Amino acid sequence: MRRALAFAMAIALITVACSAGNSPGTTGAGGSPGGSVAAFDPAAISGNATLGEWDSSPAEHSAVSSALAAFSVTYPNVKVDQTTISGDYRAQMITRFGAHNPPDIFYVNAEYAQDWIDQGFLAPLDDYIAKQGFATSPFFKNYLDIFTGSDGHIYGLPKDGNTIAMAYNSDLVSTPPTTMDQLVQTAQSLVGKPGIKAPMCLNAALDRGLAFLYAQGGSLLTADNKAEAIDTPASKAALQWYMDLFKNGLGVTNKALGDGWCGEALGKGDVAMTFEGGWLLGFMQTTYPKVNWKFAEMPTGSSGSKVTISYTAAYGIGVDSANKDQAWTALQYLTGTQGMAVWTGGGIAVPSRSDVPVPDGFDIIVKGAAYSKPGSGFMKGYNDVQTAFANAFDQEITNKTYNVDNVIAATVAAINKALAG
Amino acid sequence: MTATAAPAPASAPTPGHIGARREAFAGYLFIGGPMILFLILNIGMVLYALYMSVWKWSVLKGPLAFIGTQNYVKILSDDKFWHAVQNTLYYTVIWVPLTMAVGLFLAVVVNQKIRGQTFFRGAFYFPAIASSAAITVLWIFLVSPFGLFNEIRGALGVNPIFEALGYGPNQDWMGDYHTAMNSVIILNAWTTSGTFMLFYLASLQSISHEVYEAAAIDGAGAWQTFWKVTFPLLRPAHFFVATVGVIGGLQLFDQAFIGGGPNGEPNGALSTIVLYLYNALFTQINFSYAAAMGIVLFVIIFSATLIQRQLFGRTPAA
Repeated sequence: MRRALAFAMAIALITVACSAGNSPGTTGAGGSPGGSVAAFDPAAISGNATLGEWDSSPAEHSAVSSALAAFSVTYPNVKVDQTTISGDYRAQMITRFGAHNPPDIFYVNAEYAQDWIDQGFLAPLDDYIAKQGFATSPFFKNYLDIFTGSDGHIYGLPKDGNTIAMAYNSDLVSTPPTTMDQLVQTAQSLVGKPGIKAPMCLNAALDRGLAFLYAQGGSLLTADNKAEAIDTPASKAALQWYMDLFKNGLGVTNKALGDGWCGEALGKGDVAMTFEGGWLLGFMQTTYPKVNWKFAEMPTGSSGSKVTISYTAAYGIGVDSANKDQAWTALQYLTGTQGMAVWTGGGIAVPSRSDVPVPDGFDIIVKGAAYSKPGSGFMKGYNDVQTAFANAFDQEITNKTYNVDNVIAATVAAINKALAG
Repeated sequence: MTATAAPAPASAPTPGHIGARREAFAGYLFIGGPMILFLILNIGMVLYALYMSVWKWSVLKGPLAFIGTQNYVKILSDDKFWHAVQNTLYYTVIWVPLTMAVGLFLAVVVNQKIRGQTFFRGAFYFPAIASSAAITVLWIFLVSPFGLFNEIRGALGVNPIFEALGYGPNQDWMGDYHTAMNSVIILNAWTTSGTFMLFYLASLQSISHEVYEAAAIDGAGAWQTFWKVTFPLLRPAHFFVATVGVIGGLQLFDQAFIGGGPNGEPNGALSTIVLYLYNALFTQINFSYAAAMGIVLFVIIFSATLIQRQLFGRTPAA
């Protein structure tokens, strides 16, 4: 009995000793008594935090390491442990949330940001932002909005972002088209050209199709994102226009070309034009360095204004984290001007702030951030809508019927179900 | 414990009596460890899943509110679930007999006294122990539109046969929703045939020579011997292999996930029950719905096994 008591006291002592590592005087978000105007100074914070990233390329991993190395120079008292969550990141993280031991700071993809916010996995950051006086205005608004919950709180700050642009082989296309009509003309002139298999590599789904839908005056949802807007004459016309690109042989899917994705199709010379994001740059530089290609802005469609879609990811802090102060210190650095410049400087990622220098080759991508609409994370259950759209669209192409009525019907059903559920 | 009728004097305790009790105790001790694990990790988890399925469940806070059979009602009206059931049943009904046939064929072949028997046994069994993820990725590569399979059949000149069946020279076997599930069936028939081969081999080798000798004396040819003698005598093996096959087939996940992603693309052709359960868990983040699906799957598999046992399980009297 005495031994058990001694053991229990030892555990208690160790626990107290460990928690004393947290800096006194600063409390986590929402922890301070009402009316406290104590400013938050990240330089005063010391302690540890773990950072969770998903498994991607060695280049990306080392870019994060560089950013963290620069962080430790500016904030030598906070030690951040970089861990890679391999496998299915989303599944792994949800499992860790359930076990109440996620990393303190971690990636949050726009795709499931709203789901994670609703489930209560993420800690709100407003208190930290206010107390430190951290400016959020330099972030591109449509990136930041994705990580704002329906309760108005900010749950993540975008660490980078990507927009979809047109990538074209400059040997085959001398002047890039600036309007959709010109795009069709250019593609038509390339039909049957020896050496390429098709003029364009296109995505038979909303991953890229959404940008064309917007460009041609259509929309998936109403402006307040509360109801579907794909079953309107404008949307139907836009969708049929996109479908006709496949019908007339101007665009084919990467599957039909036998390529892993459209970037590979461009690199191999199977197509002359495709639509991808900033990730294409690193890929082409390493895998197909001899191909002459350039980015150009998404052609303007019948809607009359420039539009494209964007994908982004943020850093978030776990609601269960015992090291929120330390995690925030890292977060505000990594998404601040200095940290983001280190992270994006090598061309691995594209800045999500307008006050960070644009890395070489990404001008078009960053230009698009100013006028892009979110390509994911703007509605709950978007994944199901994407699947329904892609299945129906793919079926029309495989069966060579090229009719958008079925696509619209399937998408409307999926949207209504997602908005209701 | 039975008291041995020892002719020892009744005053002293018989050594056999104490030894039997100690042996039994040792036996229980050995069983105890795995049994406790089985009770906790198998039975316990099934009961926990049942518990989860009747509560509204929050990932962070656990059970929130009792909802009774709400999830089960939702499953019954969920189109995607029934589509997954349809796919899974289609897969099982075709894959099990196919793999049994291939496994039996391989077992018969490997049972012959040929040179390199052990090598062939190992070679046929190898896919079963290799990583299913690695094999699936390679398979997707092989059957892609410009992959090895299409190239070879083009070179061999058998394309006209495929054209007649409606498949072009660059057919995307895994990417076309008409052929995706069939491609997975063929893939799994090949990889699992090794396991079934082993089961059949064990049974084949237990058939005594005398039976074959009798058949030979009666003038039966090889084919007749196989169908009239060997095949019926393998009935217990058929039952076992079919049961194991159905249980495994109804739980198809790996190849569906790697080939079709979490939504079972293309067009939901590769959506299976377990894949949809995974979707409910990590895309919809609805733990109790996923648990309910797990229970429903358990009931389906259990029923299938009981039906099989009822129909085919009885061994004929010798």
